[in-house]
Amino acid sequence: MSYVLGVMLLACVTALACALPGAFVVLRKNSMIVDGIAHAVLPGIIVGFALTKDLNSPILILGAALAGLVVVLGNEWLSDTGLLAGDAPQGLIFPALFAGGIIMVSTDMQHVHLDTNAVLIGDLNLAAFPAMILNGVNIGPEYLYVMLGVLILNAAFIAAFYSKLKLTTFDRQFATVLGMRTRVLNTAFMFLVSMTVVAAFKAVGAILVVSLLVVPAATAKLISNRLDHMLALSAVFSVVGALAGFWIAYALNTGTSAAMAVIYGILFTLVAIVEKGITRWRRGHKAASGPNELVTVRAKR
Amino acid sequence: MDPIDFFGNHVFRMVFLGTTTIGIVSGALGTFAYLRKQSLISDVISHAALPGALLAFLTAVVVFGINGQNMLLLVIGAVITGTLSAFFANMIAGQTKIAIDTAMAISLTTFFGFGMLLLRIVTNAPLPGKGGIQDYLFGNAASITRADLTTSVAVGAFALALMIVFWKEFALRTFDPVLSTMLGFRARLIDTLMFGTIVIAIVIGIKAVGFVLMVAFIVTPPAAARQWTNRLSSMVILSAVFGGLGSGFGAYLSISMGNVPTGPMIVLLLFAIFVVSLVASPKRSIIVAGWRHAKARHALKQELLAEGESR
Repeated sequence: MSYVLGVMLLACVTALACALPGAFVVLRKNSMIVDGIAHAVLPGIIVGFALTKDLNSPILILGAALAGLVVVLGNEWLSDTGLLAGDAPQGLIFPALFAGGIIMVSTDMQHVHLDTNAVLIGDLNLAAFPAMILNGVNIGPEYLYVMLGVLILNAAFIAAFYSKLKLTTFDRQFATVLGMRTRVLNTAFMFLVSMTVVAAFKAVGAILVVSLLVVPAATAKLISNRLDHMLALSAVFSVVGALAGFWIAYALNTGTSAAMAVIYGILFTLVAIVEKGITRWRRGHKAASGPNELVTVRAKR
Repeated sequence: MDPIDFFGNHVFRMVFLGTTTIGIVSGALGTFAYLRKQSLISDVISHAALPGALLAFLTAVVVFGINGQNMLLLVIGAVITGTLSAFFANMIAGQTKIAIDTAMAISLTTFFGFGMLLLRIVTNAPLPGKGGIQDYLFGNAASITRADLTTSVAVGAFALALMIVFWKEFALRTFDPVLSTMLGFRARLIDTLMFGTIVIAIVIGIKAVGFVLMVAFIVTPPAAARQWTNRLSSMVILSAVFGGLGSGFGAYLSISMGNVPTGPMIVLLLFAIFVVSLVASPKRSIIVAGWRHAKARHALKQELLAEGESR
């Protein structure tokens, strides 16, 4: 597999792996919590590193996913106290965790090569560099298979708990009344989101991973009224944006994830404008044809 | 390090005064973001300041051929894109069926992605005076110069003056938007002014603390102040005091401890102030609420027992 093809596939698979849980994130109004999770990745990795002393240990990923979960549960707990208004709980915990992470890096681990800027921005080309060799044949970047695993895990979770997820998303109180353990399901789902963010941040950066999760799903929501349609459309938009972003970045020699984020934003705006235009045109059409019908009815009488 | 040595050093003095200014201004103006229930818009604005600052830098260097590292110039660029991002998010939420939290995430990532593209262009191009432009991103309190401090104080004072002049309008729009519109105040104009002042508070802080942590300066002090008071005026003042104290003391601590970066140290201190307020403020806090709850339970129990005995 050529290097360019590998990077392109990696972009598509990463986008898909994020877009599937993203649909539920958007519907559950958790978009800005994902932003918090993404920022908690850095301190999670640092604590994991402090414990393992190994930058490639899988415990780092677990630590980062758990840090993301701390943001989610902390936010829920702060909201439940009833002492805070609006979305303030979501903005209180992640900066503190992030600040703690930065302090740990700059005091205890100055000898460690951990570029905090790289954590925030990511580099798809760098992430795709180590190739997987099977029987002497290059079958694409190693990282592609990590993201493929995350994609399969996400798809399997959504397939297995589809009806439960759907019910808790649209009517959480009803689900609770039915005896469903909504809190457990919610925590499990957010842990999955956290894992996805952690897996993807190396390729696209901790901030732009939010774009991959939220924007294709939001674009799909604009033009769909059914959950299954929305999931399918999210997948389509995510792949289209990934391909466009990849080739634009390739042509302009800039960062792939940044180009993808901009393309997703433009795609969303275009779909919103077109959808708005069509709705208005339909309404105008109805309004124009309405009185005419009345006139014909009267004429018949 | 004792305070006399600390304030005798020019760099330390600049760091202390600079961060305290940022803390006071963002604490006071963050109150309105908190009460409008849009605290997280500050996160959107701070990320969207990046493309604005870079565009201003590029315009200055490429079009006018002047030094691009002028704080006022970068602030103006950042204020423009920051305000645009806040409006973009509110427009999505108002015009489509997308909720405000998702709208904020869309606005944040789109503006930030554009900023990252620009940053790559600036890094690749052979432009004069681009060294240290990263400080505007990730924050470096030690890079505050006397000119930066003057700009921060002047611009911050302007934002606070706007708040005082339009106090009544801001308060009414915050607590009763419908009445405010009915009385003939122009909602869009007041919103522009209000979010404009918040944008200013954020933008003057980014160079010192970075765009990631700036959200804490806007969200944390008002959330702490809210636990102590029910009045707008005292909340604004208390929030400014918390912001200023946390920033000044945090700057002092970070420098006297040596290797500790200033911005993160301040954020941790602000968070500590918040936790203390949430747990133990005398009016509304977890301890007081728990105590009231226990007292009410006890009273009810006594009442029921007395009723049972009398039967």
